[in-house]
Amino acid sequence: MTDISSTSPRPQAASNGWMLKAIPLAVILASLLLIPVMVGNQFVYHIFITICIFAALSTAWNIVGGFAGQLSLGHAIFYGIGAYTGVILMNMGISPWIGMFAGAAIAVVAAVIISYPCFRLHGPFFALATIAFLEVFRVLALHWRELTGGATGLMIPLQIGWEWMVFRDRLPQLLIAFGLLLLTLAVAWWIRSHRMGFYLVATRERESAALAAGVGTVRVRLAAVAVSAALTAFVGTFHAMYLTFIEPAAMFSLQMSIQIAMFALIGGLGTVFGPLLGAVLLVPISELARGWLGAHALGLHGFVYGVVLMLVVLFMPNGLMGLISRFTKQRRERGVSAGTIAASAATPTAAPRAPIGADVMRVEHLQKHFGGLHVTNDVGFTLREGEILGLIGPNGAGKTTVFNMISGFLKPDSGSVTVRAADGSWQSPATPGDFATIGVGRTFQIVQPFAAMTVEENIMVGAFHRYSDVEEAREVARETAERMGLAPWLDAEARGLTIGGLKRLEVARVMAMKPRILLLDEVMAGINQTDVRRAIDLMKSIRDSGVSIVAIEHVMQAVMSLSDRVIVLNSGKIIAQGEPREVVRDPVVVEAYLGKEFIDAQA
Amino acid sequence: MNTFLQVLTNGIMLGSLFAIVAVGLTLIFGIVKVVNFAHGEFLMVGMYLTYVLTTWMGIHPFATVILVAPALFLLGAVTQRFLIQPLMSADDDHIQIFATVGLSTALINLALLVFGADIASTPASGLRTPLQLGPVRLLSGQVAILVASIAVVVVLQFFLSRTQTGRAIRAVAQNRAAAQLMGINVNWIYILTFGIGAACVGVASVLIAPLYPTSSGIGTYFVLTAFVVVVLGGLGSIGGAFAGAMIIGLIDSFAGFYIGSDLREVAVFGVFLLILILKPSGLFSSRLNLSHVSP
Amino acid sequence: MKLSYLMKTTAIALALTATAAQAEVKFGSLYPFSGQLALLGEESARGLELAVEEINAAGGIQGEQITLVRGDAVDNNQAIGEARRLTSLEGVKAIFGTYSSARSIAASQVTELAGIPYFELGAVAEEVTGRGMKYLFRTNPTADDMAKMIIQMVVEKVGPGLGKEPADLKIAIIHEDSSYGTSVAERQNAYAKEAGLSIVTTQAYPAAIVDMSSLVLDLKNREVDIVLQTSYQNDSVLFLQQANEAGYKPSAIIGGGGGYSMQPTADAVGHDVIEGVLDVDFTQYTVNTSYTPGLEQFVEAYQKKYGSAPRSGHSLNNYVGAKVILEALGKASDLEPDTIVDTVKAIDIEAGVTAAGYGFKFGDDNQNERAEMMGMQWQDGKLVTVFPDSAAMTPIKLGE
Repeated sequence: MTDISSTSPRPQAASNGWMLKAIPLAVILASLLLIPVMVGNQFVYHIFITICIFAALSTAWNIVGGFAGQLSLGHAIFYGIGAYTGVILMNMGISPWIGMFAGAAIAVVAAVIISYPCFRLHGPFFALATIAFLEVFRVLALHWRELTGGATGLMIPLQIGWEWMVFRDRLPQLLIAFGLLLLTLAVAWWIRSHRMGFYLVATRERESAALAAGVGTVRVRLAAVAVSAALTAFVGTFHAMYLTFIEPAAMFSLQMSIQIAMFALIGGLGTVFGPLLGAVLLVPISELARGWLGAHALGLHGFVYGVVLMLVVLFMPNGLMGLISRFTKQRRERGVSAGTIAASAATPTAAPRAPIGADVMRVEHLQKHFGGLHVTNDVGFTLREGEILGLIGPNGAGKTTVFNMISGFLKPDSGSVTVRAADGSWQSPATPGDFATIGVGRTFQIVQPFAAMTVEENIMVGAFHRYSDVEEAREVARETAERMGLAPWLDAEARGLTIGGLKRLEVARVMAMKPRILLLDEVMAGINQTDVRRAIDLMKSIRDSGVSIVAIEHVMQAVMSLSDRVIVLNSGKIIAQGEPREVVRDPVVVEAYLGKEFIDAQA
Repeated sequence: MNTFLQVLTNGIMLGSLFAIVAVGLTLIFGIVKVVNFAHGEFLMVGMYLTYVLTTWMGIHPFATVILVAPALFLLGAVTQRFLIQPLMSADDDHIQIFATVGLSTALINLALLVFGADIASTPASGLRTPLQLGPVRLLSGQVAILVASIAVVVVLQFFLSRTQTGRAIRAVAQNRAAAQLMGINVNWIYILTFGIGAACVGVASVLIAPLYPTSSGIGTYFVLTAFVVVVLGGLGSIGGAFAGAMIIGLIDSFAGFYIGSDLREVAVFGVFLLILILKPSGLFSSRLNLSHVSP
Repeated sequence: MKLSYLMKTTAIALALTATAAQAEVKFGSLYPFSGQLALLGEESARGLELAVEEINAAGGIQGEQITLVRGDAVDNNQAIGEARRLTSLEGVKAIFGTYSSARSIAASQVTELAGIPYFELGAVAEEVTGRGMKYLFRTNPTADDMAKMIIQMVVEKVGPGLGKEPADLKIAIIHEDSSYGTSVAERQNAYAKEAGLSIVTTQAYPAAIVDMSSLVLDLKNREVDIVLQTSYQNDSVLFLQQANEAGYKPSAIIGGGGGYSMQPTADAVGHDVIEGVLDVDFTQYTVNTSYTPGLEQFVEAYQKKYGSAPRSGHSLNNYVGAKVILEALGKASDLEPDTIVDTVKAIDIEAGVTAAGYGFKFGDDNQNERAEMMGMQWQDGKLVTVFPDSAAMTPIKLGE
């Protein structure tokens, strides 16, 4: 359903795949304009204008509902704001062309105010909140009669002409509706194929991983909502001019909000052109069905409509784009698998190791309680440039909690984490975003891939941290993938990788951020012996490029051979630190562990 | 003072009305984790069934519960089995919402098709008799709703905490995967829960039908309020739903009297939004797994 | 590509079916046939259908049989779409409609720009005719007429009947919050002020409300004597029931059409409860037929065609409006838009000769200035006409 790989242009993935999409798209768009002109009938114009309006609304909705994965069922708020602003201003003698922008501005403000507190809510809760806001707007529109005309609604004066957006002919209206559709599609396409789109999808798929990759998840979603609201308001203003009459029940309607979302769903949620497809197919069908069924019996048309909706959801949950991409992907994958076998992980070339330098991170007196549990007790250490610091300890020792505190995911109760920035100054980052900005990258113990994205796109999310340009980011992602031995799977969806592959992807995404400090959380757990050896080489090569590493690791073979220093954590306290060989001989450590792993390492 | 007591009584009566509708919803929403937009339409179906059974067969509306509750159980179970279950694995819970929206649209229009747009009035059967209790007046049917809603809450609580099946339901709600490992057939639990939730609505409908005119659109009014109640009370919390319903009933009643009937919806939804934003786990958060709420 | 092909072929197919039946003259019948407004939309459309049948049976219009083409105005965008379809694809000579004011306003903006006459037979909002349109005519009385008559009834009948000065009565206005209730309530306030009446409160509520007990309590506390409610069916039933159950018995309740004129409302709340409740609405069926000649024949024809008695006065008023217009058009030279406008403008029918009682004469704003509502009262489970005196069946009964 969220198959984005098929929509972003990909020069390498066979240009015919791209052409396969571009031609039908051009045909659909052209026919939206040409058919009504050729048929020349008013009703046909009306249907096509309606298609354009709903396709545009749906495409705009999809930026929030699809890309960002926030199911808004209150989008009629922005549509209504656009409509009311346009009509109120027109009644004051101001052209709707200006009203459009005024409406969009108000919609943006409303969208940001509404959405900001709601982003903590996911899935159905967000949907319910948006419905509640919509109801509030509708009742307020009924209530403020002086402004909105209340229940009786508002009419526009029938002044004809381009400056008033009202015409006797249908063609200019079709042109405007079509123009709005093109604008919305262009914006959606731009977002999806640029950094913002990657960030949105990444945030939707895994918020924490996105945070770690330096994505300002709230900011990027607010931006998406603002853009979507502005576009929706544009369409609202135009539709009001087209209807020439607006009232609260029609403008702030839940029914309409659901319909907008439904076109996107049926076309393909999260795809750029799915909503267009959904509207192109459904608007005429429902118009014709209304004509055929509506007159027969009360409710028959609605009944059929509801049943069809259920059937579509049941048998086509990924929408029309899902069907199409299933078809095109089959073709593409056949092409990929041929090239896969030959490739293998590039062995890192051994460069002379840089000497260990000055401190880059200082952790002092960290304390953390979870309820009555003292999970981190006065933990402090320093990390030096080009050093690999091993963090070990039995399960539940509090290693990951420490990681979370030194990457901004958890706020310590007390204590401090300071990091030396690239310019040499010492800073105290607080949020995951701050840490990412200053050059601290982390992986997660439980891998957090952006499942619906391809491997390349996953890594690009990291690369965008330093490179805002798509092509540059893609280049970096390719290089990184090459280094991590992921090159053969660049176009595969992340969800298809093996656990070893996912671990490497996790590291690759962080490496693409070009961090100065790398926090690795059990990247070797659960992978096979060959992969462990490869991973050790990899970490050495990373270290040799001057990156400082803190690694939580259970695989003792790796700890012993990699770490310059080791810190042993037990019950939230540091019980030993120093050279790996010395530490493992420390009786306190032996006592804390008494584990098989230790014996193995000794042997 | 008397006025205050009357407004208070009205609020409690309204609260018990919302409670009996919301109890079933909190089960479905809290345990199956599905936003069932067709919940209000389940109520409508139940009310029409009550109407048909009482007017055609001449039975007392309350007696129809022996047919209406099982019928609604079936409707719920079928919905879960054939509409929701196939979508459980979908990446996105958007999909299920749209499925229930489709069901809701289909049911509303089916009612229009079968019964027309006219209202259907179930015979009051003595349930509209006003009772004077000191300074306040209320209807015998409203008292029945209050008693029944308390009974349903108690029975459900008992069922969930004391019976084997009830414990299995709670296990599934807390951790689906773990419950599966323990050998619980999760799909059956979901079907059962959905059925029970719908059967509760069946009970609600035989109580409500004699008091309120039945129409195809009646569900839409109740469903949004029911969601407000469920979120307020905490997902899946039966007692929470009851308390939440009382709060909303009182807000509705007091806002309707002291602020004005045109803005009472704003008051209700305003409270809802505040709760969602400030304490999304609900006022009476249960120990159920709130997988939809981020930390 | 396939899709556009499909679209084109359907469009052509529709166009073909449109041209196939050329022997008749087509008119549009634009009402909400689905959705929440469908019940009375359908009821209204039946009146139009009966009028057309009668005209066809009498030889049609200018020698041609009339065919009605239905359009479903379920929402505003749809009303526009259907108006477009009727005017451009079906080629109707005029459109009749629409019951709902919002749909009427939306659809008539389209026909006005297309220069096709539009006859509104049932929508009551003032805004329908207040827009300076050339091709839009309205035959039925409006919200303003309704409010005016309600206040007139209070002053002339209710006050004296209760033995009180009208100005001493405490009046409350309650209404559902859509366009219909709001506009009637606004006019009621204006006319009441003019007549020096005291309105103690005006309250709006959503029509889909499930509980009106707080509102009832508020009215009871204010000791309101007369309640003016403008409402649909659900809220009429709720108010009457809950007022009764709360032991609140105002001296008079006057409904503004909608739910108050419908037999199922009376059946739902109980005939004893609704006894004595007043109502102002379009002409209904229990009326002094010497004032409304042709009413019995209409009810008979309705019974025969639809198998039941008319469900509300909407069918009657649509029937009368359509019949007057179509009869006038039958005598015109052709059916060009401007001929239609001129013909309709020339109509001059006195009160007391149509089945709805009121006469026909279109003013400068194309509103039928002679259209008026009637005052009715529920007596023994029947809605009987009590006002004005010329149409009254029985006198108003007031007090216990």
